[in-house]
Amino acid sequence: MSESSKENSLEKLRALGARLIESICDGKFPSIQIPDRSTANIHFDSELNHFTLGDGFVIRDSSNIKHIRSFAQLVWVASFAKNLLQSGRTSSLRDLYYSAEAFDIDFKNQAESDRIVTDLECAIGLAREEFAIYSEEHSSIFGEVTMEYTAPGYEGRQLDLTVSPDGLPIGPAIMTAEPLHTDANRILAVESGGIFSRLIESHAWRRFGSILVHLGGQPPRSTRKLLRKLTESLDIPLYIFTDGDPWGMHIAQVIISGSANAAHIPHLTVPSAEWIGITPQDIVDYKLPSETLKGVDLKRLDELSNDVRYTSTFWQDHIREFKEVRKKAEQQAFSRYGIDFVVDTYLPDKLSLC
Amino acid sequence: MNSPTDETFSSISPAEFFYRNRQMAGFGNPTQAVYSTIRELVENSIDACEQKQIMPKIRVSIHTIDSDELSISVDDNGVGVPTEEIPAAFGRVLYGSKYDARQRRGTFGLGVTMAILYGQITTDTPVLIHSQTENSPGILLSLSIDVENNEPIVLSQESLMRKSTGTCVKLHIRGDLKRSIDRVVEYLSLTTVGTPHACIVLDVDMQESLTWGPYSDECPSPTITCKPHPRSADFEILRRLMDKNPDFTLHQFLVENFQQVGTRTATKFLSFMAFDPSERVSKLSRRAVTKLSRSLQKYDAFSRPDSRCLSVIGKRPMQSAIKSLYDPLLVAYDSRDPSEWNGHPFILEGAIALGSSFPVTSLPTLYRFANRVPLLYDASEDLLTKVLRKTRWTRYGLKSPKSVAIFINLCSTRVPYKAAGKQSIASIPQIEEEIKHLMNSLGRKLNKSLKKTDKIYRDKRRIRMFTKYFEKITSFSADLADYPSVPSVSSMIDELFEVDTDV
Repeated sequence: MSESSKENSLEKLRALGARLIESICDGKFPSIQIPDRSTANIHFDSELNHFTLGDGFVIRDSSNIKHIRSFAQLVWVASFAKNLLQSGRTSSLRDLYYSAEAFDIDFKNQAESDRIVTDLECAIGLAREEFAIYSEEHSSIFGEVTMEYTAPGYEGRQLDLTVSPDGLPIGPAIMTAEPLHTDANRILAVESGGIFSRLIESHAWRRFGSILVHLGGQPPRSTRKLLRKLTESLDIPLYIFTDGDPWGMHIAQVIISGSANAAHIPHLTVPSAEWIGITPQDIVDYKLPSETLKGVDLKRLDELSNDVRYTSTFWQDHIREFKEVRKKAEQQAFSRYGIDFVVDTYLPDKLSLC
Repeated sequence: MNSPTDETFSSISPAEFFYRNRQMAGFGNPTQAVYSTIRELVENSIDACEQKQIMPKIRVSIHTIDSDELSISVDDNGVGVPTEEIPAAFGRVLYGSKYDARQRRGTFGLGVTMAILYGQITTDTPVLIHSQTENSPGILLSLSIDVENNEPIVLSQESLMRKSTGTCVKLHIRGDLKRSIDRVVEYLSLTTVGTPHACIVLDVDMQESLTWGPYSDECPSPTITCKPHPRSADFEILRRLMDKNPDFTLHQFLVENFQQVGTRTATKFLSFMAFDPSERVSKLSRRAVTKLSRSLQKYDAFSRPDSRCLSVIGKRPMQSAIKSLYDPLLVAYDSRDPSEWNGHPFILEGAIALGSSFPVTSLPTLYRFANRVPLLYDASEDLLTKVLRKTRWTRYGLKSPKSVAIFINLCSTRVPYKAAGKQSIASIPQIEEEIKHLMNSLGRKLNKSLKKTDKIYRDKRRIRMFTKYFEKITSFSADLADYPSVPSVSSMIDELFEVDTDV
């Protein structure tokens, strides 16, 4: 994390603490205003193509016995984050959940501590990554791009992301590193680890001039944030390749338009990104081995067809086609035509169209 | 008709009758006999203190003579028994000073004599009585009973001063101490619930003695002797009263001998029932007396019987005794207004208590009292037990078993015992109704207190929880803001909850 953003985060945390302690010194029970994250206060900005929070907020009042516990939890998370930042450390959400016990702060489960972290994000207007708290899951990245670390002890060190043929995990260090330059002309984000490895092994990344990102299902916020940073600072387009089912399609959509859950965090979306497949039409055109859509899949399609993020004809057409072919196919289905079919035939087909 | 049994008809003395039927009076076996002996003596001792408002100090001593023979003595600081009355009072069955309409522990003049009789027959030892009154100096008597003739025999007599007035009765009985001691201890401790101003000491075989009470310094005012209520007038009572006043007219007789009967009431009653008010009572035929008795019992325009002849334990003394003996978390008291059954006034009072001294049960543990005397045997046949079982305790916060006990005292000039052992109360509809109301109201009080203690406990926990979290907010905020010290917040919290409780 860069010194300036770290200082910015520390300043916001300190300001929060100062406001609380000064109120207590005045003999007044402090309260905290938190932007309301309930559905009623989440709006979709169709111009910006992502979700934003409205003006509604909730008040945590420390004189209210019903609020006191979550109030204390919130202040603890803030002080925990402050100490992480000051000592140049990071913590996973799970670590934070367990650390609470040492301070005699009890969380019923990790879902509760995660929610309090989100409360703090809203209250001070920072994403948790900015106060050194990350999720456990990691996506991976591989490609011809040079990054400069800002992580403590690595400041200024530069790294080419082709250094490991397994790709590099997208952890706090890469998250906070600055992209310097790249020879690639696009980013290709793929859902499954198998395809990610195939693209590296077969040197297809070089052929396609691509930086590869392994999403591993619905990617963590840090990955989305990195995708945004890469597309912005390197000025190259992002293509997303997922399984051919409503869930894979939605992975792409969240990268493009964001999620309601993260409506309070700005700068997470890549509105220009494109979903290249597997589209329902691909299943038919490539005669892919497929499964019939199940009840849950169809239900999901219905939900998506009413979702504000899917109003464009592009998305509505895909939803309609899924319903027509009633089939879904995984990325690995291309292996039916040989393991390199996907890199030799399908992807060149798709990317040449773009 | 001549049956072979005809020849065996002969009268037996009351003493012989009761000895033959001793299980009726509670002397059926050596275990029960120990308890009954102590009980009869202690009851007499407390009664001997009551009329003169003496705070009773009673010492019960039990000494093992032989494996199955015990020496029992009970010493009190009561008024004592006048010298000339001692032989008859202790040595004759059905003799006593208690045949009037006021609340007494004993009734029949039977109990102590039964104990003496039982001791005499099982151990062949006379009873020793040491008594002193204000007017007669201390005297020590050795006495036995002529069972066949129901006559006391004085074996020896000597002057011996006591430190104060009072009576000590010492006798030998065949008894099983091991099996009866728990009952005796329970009886004596419960006696101090029924008579909280009494102090009772128990010595067993020179070991460390147990002491109960006094738990109250209120000495109950002496009960007033009342004339009988007309509705309680059976044939026998009428005959006895008429023999005393043969020259009274019927009208005069009723006014003079009964409570709640003035001249107007008597006139109204007699004309309503078609009696001649000017007839002399000595002239009344047997049939006429029977008719009079029935009419008196049926006539419902008499006022309720006077309840000043009753002496309840009272709220403060009873609660204080229960608190001292059981250290309960809560105790609540209630009493009913005076009521009557067949012309006998009665009052019900009771207390309900919650605490770890009581067993955990789904129904409250019942402690029964009649005229302040604890009843320990035959609980299953008792009217109080019956009503307890019928009461829906789940409505009163006893959804799950709890350690709750209920103490009920029935005061009456006539307690309807099921047998001469005086251990269980018979079913009388009027009494049953009052017990039901009393138990319900005690149940409601328990429920209310349970809710209140629950709330106090909950509130305390809430404040503790709030304080913990608010202190954390303060210290974490101080840390966040790099504040050098953490301010104290206790006054803020106190203020917050004070405001809360005022609202």
